Amino acid sequence: MATKGVTLNTNARKIRFARRFISILLKMRKTRSPCSSSSIEDVRKRSQRIKIAAYSSMAHAVGPRRAWSRAVLFKLRSRARHQSMMKRRSFGLQKKRVVVVKNNNDIIPSGQLSQADRLRQLVPGGKAMDMCSLLEETADYISCLATQVKVMQTIADHFSK
Amino acid sequence: MNRALPEMLHCLNGPATSTDMTVLERQRARMKWQPQEQQGYFGGSDQFAGLFLEPGQVGSFQGLLGGESVLGEVLTRSVKPDPGLENGWPELLNMGFTEFDMNCAISRTSSCPPTVAPPPPEAKGKVSPPAEKVSSAVGRESFKKRKADKLQNTKVVAEDDSKDKRSKVCAEEGESKITEQTSNKDNNRETSADTSKENSKASEAQKPDYIHVRARRGQATDSHSLAERVRREKISERMKYLQDLVPGCNKITGKAGMLDEIINYVQSLQRQVEFLSMKLAAVNPRLDFNIEDLFAKELLLYQQMFPACSTGFPTIGMSSEMTNPAYLQFNPAQQVVACCGLDMGMNNTADMGLRRTISTPASIPETYLDSSCFTQLQPSSTWDADVQNLFNLEFHQGRSISFPSQPFTGSIEASNLKMEL
Repeated sequence: MATKGVTLNTNARKIRFARRFISILLKMRKTRSPCSSSSIEDVRKRSQRIKIAAYSSMAHAVGPRRAWSRAVLFKLRSRARHQSMMKRRSFGLQKKRVVVVKNNNDIIPSGQLSQADRLRQLVPGGKAMDMCSLLEETADYISCLATQVKVMQTIADHFSK
Repeated sequence: MNRALPEMLHCLNGPATSTDMTVLERQRARMKWQPQEQQGYFGGSDQFAGLFLEPGQVGSFQGLLGGESVLGEVLTRSVKPDPGLENGWPELLNMGFTEFDMNCAISRTSSCPPTVAPPPPEAKGKVSPPAEKVSSAVGRESFKKRKADKLQNTKVVAEDDSKDKRSKVCAEEGESKITEQTSNKDNNRETSADTSKENSKASEAQKPDYIHVRARRGQATDSHSLAERVRREKISERMKYLQDLVPGCNKITGKAGMLDEIINYVQSLQRQVEFLSMKLAAVNPRLDFNIEDLFAKELLLYQQMFPACSTGFPTIGMSSEMTNPAYLQFNPAQQVVACCGLDMGMNNTADMGLRRTISTPASIPETYLDSSCFTQLQPSSTWDADVQNLFNLEFHQGRSISFPSQPFTGSIEASNLKMEL
């Protein structure tokens, strides 16, 4: 069933990805255009934001029918909620961020995991999956990611001309 | 035969047990759409003899002419003959009294007493809820009995469970793809999707799957190890699919190496996304857009992307609005192809190839294909109804005659198929 979806609407999917991604990029540019400084920090921030935009556009285009896209959407939503809360009380921001980073560091280098677990960490929402569905989601995720990379490549090529 | 007879007795007990239908049953009943369809036919022809055949046909042709707004209706109607065809195939192949055949025949016989006033076949095409309910209740009931019967046999139960899961996944996918589709189409989607998974089971004809799962000589036969075997098969299937997706994964043998490769590929893709986002961020401030620029850019993007598409589809300037309907239209075509029994002899790869070849051309030839297939299929449905009508009379005389009649319908349907092919 995944095969059918992938082979059939590669183009349609590509276009959907591109449309969303471009609209998000434009939105970002509108908000960011006044302070178009090119310091390294700024570029990094912006790239982070673009990365998130890429993932979110992918997940939105796929919709909630896939586990990985659901996981991404959920993460984005919770992140947005988190950020809005942070904006309200900006004092707690830095401390909490440090905590989050620490947690991530703890999880990632714990090293010699089995391959399935490594894959689970890579595929969003994969932690709660059994092997079967994990592989299925991985297949879909890979195809989507490849499409997204192609889209971004085209956009980047277009811009850098 | 031995199993079928008590089932018939069960079924003849009437709708007393239909009160304790659970939601689980509904899911199973849904898989049994096709026998229900036939029941519907039966009931209809039972009551109204040949009277409604012509209106049904006319209505469907009107639907065919009616364009897109009635497309769904046309589909439900034109899909109707499929169960007959699909039933016909295993019958043709087995040419004897298989278990499935018996079940089918029994569900038909059971449908006769409770259907007091079933609507004509043309009303059935419009998915009128009460009619569906009547027939589905019967179907559930009979299926429940069947299930109870099967409980004695652990093998079948294990197989049943796995098949349920699979079909659930498929159904989910189908629903999300086209929400407006009826469950008939859904069911057919299931079948077509399943054929791609090498199980080549028509949703009704579980025969190959049953054999597939069954333990070979010397293998464990308890339900746990059977389930485990099914799981392993699924995993290996998906691995195969992933192997196709990940470049350079074809040479590697062994699951561990493949998983490694997959992980690396995913990581590299994620890194690429990161890199590209950095690139875009660096490029960003130099450009300033306005909204008019956006549209021009988007158009350019499309033009760029279609040639850049590496899958090699010869795409003619299709817009996204074009592609979606094309996809929608493609699905029925695929179903029809799958139902014509072309996939019976084919293995998985050939099937895939077929689909690809179908998916490549633009939408216009597909529509033609659709309509031609439907027009070809439609007469066969009337044929079906006619034949069943004849047999229905026999049912009233004596139920035991229904068993010999079964292969006969199969052969007639087969001849129809030959005409189509």
